[in-house]
Amino acid sequence: MKRRQFLAAGTIFTAFMALQPVALLAEWNAKNFQHGSLKKAFINTLGTDEIAISDQITIVAPPIASDSSSVPVEVISSMKGDQLYLFVEKNFKPLVFKCTLLDNSLPWFSLNIKMKESSALFAVVRSDGKFFMANVRVEIQSQAC
Amino acid sequence: MSSSLRIMAREEDGTILVKVIIPHPSESGLRKDEQGNTVPAHFIMEGSVTLNGVPVVALELGPAVSKDPFLQFRFKGKKGDTVNVIFLDNHNEQFTAETVVQ
Repeated sequence: MKRRQFLAAGTIFTAFMALQPVALLAEWNAKNFQHGSLKKAFINTLGTDEIAISDQITIVAPPIASDSSSVPVEVISSMKGDQLYLFVEKNFKPLVFKCTLLDNSLPWFSLNIKMKESSALFAVVRSDGKFFMANVRVEIQSQAC
Repeated sequence: MSSSLRIMAREEDGTILVKVIIPHPSESGLRKDEQGNTVPAHFIMEGSVTLNGVPVVALELGPAVSKDPFLQFRFKGKKGDTVNVIFLDNHNEQFTAETVVQ
């Protein structure tokens, strides 16, 4: 193999390897993000709707949000967990995100979300195969989405 | 691939805080424009964060994430570590960025 060929092959291989992580990402599960009630979303995503309430999970969100298209939400858990979920009860598709925590990551996640109307937010943490949740209510002052 | 994705990583007391802003329309597929036509869905579906090549966080995101998503993560690490993020939207467009922890 000539040097030039080798380099070309190397470039292609590197490009291929660079694409690999995308294929290895969490498989996006359309079932999790279906239209439906909160209860249905719990069952679709978690396989159960009987979830213990825990005071070790905190949701930081404004009690009154003026812009429903961007509500800052923070989920904090003081218990160890390997999965974090956030649900908005009144949204068409209640599940906002599923966050899988691997080695070294802390059960903390923050993002801005859209809300259809005033609703309760539910954060669910999976710890030792069991689900725990906390909820908080956010009032929307103006409609944006 | 977008170069406009912004990322910042800072270490404090052994914990790295990563902030990411992805310029993206994040259309849920439910919104209607002025003419009453439904705007097709265009949102970020998947994300992954790696620290020195080791995956630390895997994300599945729904259409309820805001326009230009602003995401923050925390994990253990030290200054000089390399943080890499990859996001994929429902049009199979890939967004990636890499930074060194400050």
